[in-house]
Amino acid sequence: MSEIKKHDTPMVDQLKSGPWPSFVDDIYSYGEKHKKQCAFDLMGQLELSYKHKETHWKHGGIVGVFGYGGGVIGRYSDQQEKFPSIWAFHTIRVHHPAGKWYHTAALRKLCDMWDHRGSGFVNFHGSTGDMVLLGTTTEQLEPVFFDLTHQFHWDLGGSGSNLRSPACCMGKSRCEWALFDTQEIDYELTMHFQDELHRPAFPYKFKFKFSGCPLDCVAAIARADLSFIGTWIDEIQIDQEAVKAYVNGELKPNAGAFSDRDWGPFDIKKEVIDLCPTKCMHWDEKEQKLYINNKDCVRCMHCIAVMPKALKPGKDRGVSILIGAKSVILEGAQLSTLLIPFMRLEPPYDDVKELVYKIWDYWMEVGKNRERVGELIQRIGLNRFIVDVMGMKPIPQHVRIPRNDPYIFWREEEVPGGWKRDIKEFRKRHPA
Amino acid sequence: MDKAELKQKILEVMEAKIKKGGKTKIYLKDLQREIPGANPREIKNAANELVREGKLEYFSTGSTVMFGLPGVGMGLEAGVEKPEE
Repeated sequence: MSEIKKHDTPMVDQLKSGPWPSFVDDIYSYGEKHKKQCAFDLMGQLELSYKHKETHWKHGGIVGVFGYGGGVIGRYSDQQEKFPSIWAFHTIRVHHPAGKWYHTAALRKLCDMWDHRGSGFVNFHGSTGDMVLLGTTTEQLEPVFFDLTHQFHWDLGGSGSNLRSPACCMGKSRCEWALFDTQEIDYELTMHFQDELHRPAFPYKFKFKFSGCPLDCVAAIARADLSFIGTWIDEIQIDQEAVKAYVNGELKPNAGAFSDRDWGPFDIKKEVIDLCPTKCMHWDEKEQKLYINNKDCVRCMHCIAVMPKALKPGKDRGVSILIGAKSVILEGAQLSTLLIPFMRLEPPYDDVKELVYKIWDYWMEVGKNRERVGELIQRIGLNRFIVDVMGMKPIPQHVRIPRNDPYIFWREEEVPGGWKRDIKEFRKRHPA
Repeated sequence: MDKAELKQKILEVMEAKIKKGGKTKIYLKDLQREIPGANPREIKNAANELVREGKLEYFSTGSTVMFGLPGVGMGLEAGVEKPEE
């Protein structure tokens, strides 16, 4: 084994002095232990980037393994002479299992494989949700893919203009608030849309995310082009005895999550009623009874999270489907906007698949290069998207804020009876 | 247009662009613009099949993917060569 060449990295080393665990420590100790030159070259290049205040990574080119149009992101150093061991340092995205549950044996095997075929550095998980294997050479891509698919029965994730790896919360595997089976729909749609996941199909990326309840642990509303968020259509279930127990201090609010400090006695008015965003709750002190006007409830889940033994989501459950969240590219970042307030889900989710194809077909035809579906909706208008593209009837839930434009232009077919324009008759009355 | 015709048309579009001195890597949307009669999904399927046949290759920035003719323009290694050992 050739001698390890270390670089002088005073600025990078400063990161080790903080009170928090440092990636610099981890990378150096791993490099020392396994005699990996790439660990030292990586830190050397980072030092140079700090000095020059610009990156020395180039990216692009390599996209994957044979037959795949995604899953690998090419990375190259532009300082090859100084740091030859990271001249190619490609990233491999490995599709995570639904809910990100792993067997330790699988992770050990993955680490052994990556120690051997790559840098040994991993990122659990990237923001899309994939396991990210950081740093390997072009020659190792096919062997890594073979190991992943044949030994671990795992697959590459999405990158480029593909469907990105769908992601979900732990759902029913652990959470009492999961209002639909997030892991099942995640798996079903992942398997159904394999072609879109592995081969470029779209003007730009497209993401599905599934959150079991409105607390939205996977931040679907902020990150997914199509967000599925669990909800209910009937009434919040109330156990009035348990509500009284919270009020009388017999049960700890928030399931004891904030009990490490004395916040004083539980005050239902201050901590629940007054914090309801639509003021749809009322606590009758005399009757010792909680009332909820469910028609005004926006399913924020705050009251349920504070008093989990007393309140539960309704029994008639499904999802709200939202569309168009994205970060900045052509337009600014935006959250999803509501498309379907409530849909009951039944495997094999044919109605969801039909909806997805309808959105994709229009976006593939009309979307511009690097235009996310949310930007397309901004461009053509949510009203036109809902009516003309989705063929849906607009409903009040689609209105995010009342319009501030006082001019409303109607189309002839939108007004009962329509109208006729006769410019000659008009000019008789109003000469130009 | 059947799939064989579409694949042929895609290759012709790519070659014509290069002959004119245009871009060597193009997006799916550019192909759609050049072949207006075809369905975008059919173009995507045909282009991906041409990649499997080795007649086209992908070129990705990581966030988007383009298609190009193998060996023309910037290669998959994006102009970098492995340094001599």
